[in-house]
Amino acid sequence: MTPEQILKLPSMPAASPSYPMGPYRFVNREYLIITYETDKDLLREAVPEPLEPNPEGHVLYEWIRMPDSSGFGDYTESGVVIPCLFQGQPINFTAQMYLDDEPPISAGREIWGFPKKYAHPKLEVCSDTITGTLHYAGQLVAMGTMAYKHAEAPGGIEATAKGMTKTQCNLKIIPDVDGSPKICQLVAYNLTDITIKGSWVSPARLHLIPHVNAPAADLPIKKIVGGKHFIGDLTLPHGRVLFDYIKDQAP
Amino acid sequence: MKKSDVLKLPSMPLQSPTFPRGPYRFFRRQYLVISYRSDAAAIREALPEPLVPAGDTVAVQWLDLPDGEGFGAYSAAAQIIPCTFKGEPCNFVSQMYVDNTPPLAGGREIWGYPMKYGKAVLKVTGDTLTGTLDYATQRAATGTMVYKHDAFRADLSKERELLARTQVTLKMIPDIDGTPAIAQLVGINFADVKLQGAWTGEARLELIPAVNCPLADLPVRRVTGGLHMVTDMTLPYGRVLHDYLA
Repeated sequence: MTPEQILKLPSMPAASPSYPMGPYRFVNREYLIITYETDKDLLREAVPEPLEPNPEGHVLYEWIRMPDSSGFGDYTESGVVIPCLFQGQPINFTAQMYLDDEPPISAGREIWGFPKKYAHPKLEVCSDTITGTLHYAGQLVAMGTMAYKHAEAPGGIEATAKGMTKTQCNLKIIPDVDGSPKICQLVAYNLTDITIKGSWVSPARLHLIPHVNAPAADLPIKKIVGGKHFIGDLTLPHGRVLFDYIKDQAP
Repeated sequence: MKKSDVLKLPSMPLQSPTFPRGPYRFFRRQYLVISYRSDAAAIREALPEPLVPAGDTVAVQWLDLPDGEGFGAYSAAAQIIPCTFKGEPCNFVSQMYVDNTPPLAGGREIWGYPMKYGKAVLKVTGDTLTGTLDYATQRAATGTMVYKHDAFRADLSKERELLARTQVTLKMIPDIDGTPAIAQLVGINFADVKLQGAWTGEARLELIPAVNCPLADLPVRRVTGGLHMVTDMTLPYGRVLHDYLA
């Protein structure tokens, strides 16, 4: 294999790259998002500066079913998203993410810095209940339930599609081979080509169980704000650097 | 979290780093290594320049890692291509499969170990040391070796030499725009290796074609032998041997 071929590789291993070049298209991506209020001091601690956590103390706990994802396949994801402000503008920070498929774990971490770990999330309709569960290392760490399509979301599919264009960001950390930080950045991206096929709000409940390696419960539930369920198609493109902890802090 | 604390994080995510800082010590790390002759042209194609193939023999190996500090208990399988770098004998790790996130993410992000999620099992079944690898529900490799047939062999110098050999990986990390941010050959040398035992003997290997776990792309022409080892060792940080972006 020549240096020219190596520099064209989208990812490791050279013999069979984990993921191809982006962007990545998702079809029939289904979300269950339960918004809750948490402790504001703990929220501040979980959000890296220069991001500011939302003043309401809201956290989004999410499950996402992705049955048809270009380059990645069929998988399910679950995690914690914190609405924040960056230079006064609203932005969503992905704090934790758990999924059951290696290419999106590796691509997510290595391209955008999605903080992904391997675990077993599940999102399904069980009789009258949309049910999300997350097992990590054999133990249940999150269980969310939502009533099934009780009401269309305010503003309908157009408002949901608009909401999905909100800028999202991650803390990307890649060590150098000697263990020192090689990449340490806040990275932002915006989903594109969004088509929402249905969007509903309903009562919801959420249960988080303390676990050291999947610490969703570190942001405790004070009050459930509500549940949202929607299905759509969208594209995840490459992103941009918002803040570089190595370069932007250099003397 | 303060900006200065962000730079101290060993890994993502902030609230629960996937892997702590190294080095990483392993206890009772058990190997089954099956060496075989393959196709010289396919080996040349699989090996990144400037590495040079060292003959037409490669290996598939299984590892049982019951106690990996910072990582936990897990199993792995890998394909190894013996080669030289500027004349020095090395082992290029071309493919690797594990069933545990910290070594998977840490392996890729620190050293560029080319890890994917696969279910490797290494165990003694009756009279047979057996390694299996399943990827996306399908069997991709089965290796079998006789159990400790040369238990009283005194000279383990070849095995010590093998464990001391430099491992080489191709570390590729994209930038946020998809262009390469890191493209390096990385050299790794295990430290404080304690060889608890080593055995050689007859072995057989079956590799099954699978697109996302393509061990069989280096086809098995003839198995040359099996090696079974139990070690304690430390995996330290590595060093850059070659930078494709420099």
